[in-house]
Amino acid sequence: MKVLFKTRKQRHLREMAKYLRLVFNDFFVFALLFFLGGLGLGYSNVLKQLRPGFWWAPLVALVVLAITAQVGRFATLIEDADRVFLLPKERAMHDYLVAARRYSQGLAQATQLIILFILTPFLRVTLNWSLLQVLILVVAQVLLKDALLRLDLASAYQVTGQRRMNHWLIKWGVSLIVLACGLWLTPWLAVVLSLVVDVLVADWLRRHWASQQIRWRQQIASEDNRMLGIYRFFNLFTDVPMVQGTIHRRRYLDGLLRRIPVRHDKTYLYLYSRGMLRGTEFSGLVVRLTVIGMLLLAFIQGRWLPVILTALFIYLIGFQLLPFFQQYDDVVFTHVYPLSWDQRLHSFVTLITIILSTTALLLWLVVVAVNRDWTTIGVTLLVAIVEVAYLARGYTPQRLKRAAENKG
Amino acid sequence: MMALTVSHVVGGYSQIPVLKDISFDVRDGELVGLIGLNGAGKSTTINHIIGLLTPHKGKITLNGVTIAQDSQAYKQQIAYIPETPVLYQELTLREHLEMTMMAYDLDQDQAWVTAKQLLKTFRLANKLDWFPANFSKGMKQKVMIVCAFLTQAKLYIIDEPFLGLDPLAVNDLLNLIEERKKQGASILMSTHVLDTAQRYCDRFVLLHSGQVEAEGTLNDLRQALPKAGESLSDIYLSMTEVDRA
Repeated sequence: MKVLFKTRKQRHLREMAKYLRLVFNDFFVFALLFFLGGLGLGYSNVLKQLRPGFWWAPLVALVVLAITAQVGRFATLIEDADRVFLLPKERAMHDYLVAARRYSQGLAQATQLIILFILTPFLRVTLNWSLLQVLILVVAQVLLKDALLRLDLASAYQVTGQRRMNHWLIKWGVSLIVLACGLWLTPWLAVVLSLVVDVLVADWLRRHWASQQIRWRQQIASEDNRMLGIYRFFNLFTDVPMVQGTIHRRRYLDGLLRRIPVRHDKTYLYLYSRGMLRGTEFSGLVVRLTVIGMLLLAFIQGRWLPVILTALFIYLIGFQLLPFFQQYDDVVFTHVYPLSWDQRLHSFVTLITIILSTTALLLWLVVVAVNRDWTTIGVTLLVAIVEVAYLARGYTPQRLKRAAENKG
Repeated sequence: MMALTVSHVVGGYSQIPVLKDISFDVRDGELVGLIGLNGAGKSTTINHIIGLLTPHKGKITLNGVTIAQDSQAYKQQIAYIPETPVLYQELTLREHLEMTMMAYDLDQDQAWVTAKQLLKTFRLANKLDWFPANFSKGMKQKVMIVCAFLTQAKLYIIDEPFLGLDPLAVNDLLNLIEERKKQGASILMSTHVLDTAQRYCDRFVLLHSGQVEAEGTLNDLRQALPKAGESLSDIYLSMTEVDRA
């Protein structure tokens, strides 16, 4: 069973590594550095203004640490088929689950340590704590997370229908009590309390696991849920086959869609515009990148940086929209209907022009709102117009034509 | 008058031909059954006719036009019902109909009259705002039928229509085919449901290993394969025997 978990873990890590490579592409690292740099600068500025004795300081620490304690879920890597194939091995599954909890500790405890490391100067300044006191709190936090993960493990064995031991109320309650004692009274108390919880849960588990059934369905559901969360995150950056775009009716957009005339030459525009707005895959991409771009532009000033960023985001969005042209290639009617390829291209170019113009306008409005420099505002507008025109009307048809020719 | 002429077509998905020199035709106002075992080349033939595949050799003419001469004029004459229903996931039923009207450049008002009638026949009239995800397989197939028969095409190509449809819908489809035949349209239909085919088809094309084994009316087939038996099913099974031997 331990071997089973090990092979699954390796497969899981390989998959994660594959996606992480895609997530941390050059552009994302660049944006992340910007973001972290700004955040770090802000934090150090805030620290300079802090003095001991603020009544709200421990409260902030409590909230941050309690949230952090919930980060890092119990990763079982259980699969749906397990409830059929591993059912006869139910007792042996204990080893598997213990190994899974040990594996889950890694990322979870690393998160605790990083957050506490960041919080250390804050605690030292506002609470006037010594380094030793902070270290004891670190121990308490790690023990707390250990206890919470043990709750997850124990609840895998609970009788169906019983209130789950890892119910969020229990987890949050334990975290808040332990951490409040640690922050307002003494960190030593937090260590003792979390140790007590940990031991109590361990004792319950020791007495009960051998006589109770694993709650397969809940375990599978929660693992699926966890994986879906991960895939959703990756899906922000790249295509994940496990997450398929969903379709929403979005009736409120019907007014907009109805402005496309029901005419032979607009057939593809009719299809593409509905597909774009109702599907989440491409519209989500456009919205995300536009919002990120707007946020970045809201925080950035300077003469040329806004121009470069606007251009960059328009390019990124325009470039990523190209595959949408082939979205309906696997629907046979795309080929059977008496419509020409040129009509299709023309409709696509129209759609891209509308989308990119909207995005460019939004980005430009942020630049106008933030910057006082008329050169920046003017040049951004000019660059945006030229870029949208070139991307939509020059680059897109050229690329798609070449792709079509290569296909033969 | 010949509507569809397939002459000496060699073709397939890759360089290796699946179809080895196929020739047959479909006349105006005629229902032709395309019969053959799994893998005999029925779908490949259909894919060539609807223009998804280009023949390596040979020619497919539809009322005097080939796809290479004028693809728009060629495709305008065809309505296709695939074996597995395919729909645009983001379009409602109403929008599928509207898109078909746009694609075939139909007169909106007139087409909606036909559409309403078809929707009523296939009991879809109250589902105009549904997405394909909410349709059962049979319903999707009915949507395909409604879209195809909306078009007033000259040639209907129907790939295995009877599986998955309820008996009432099968009956309605056969009536619809009959009606369009009377108006002069031609239909090419592939199927495994042989007793229905025997009753309704005017002629048959029996495909085997990428070749036309036999072609003609039931009487022609009986004469061509005298030992095979009386019914289409018997004749079909005798082809299987050849394969097993």
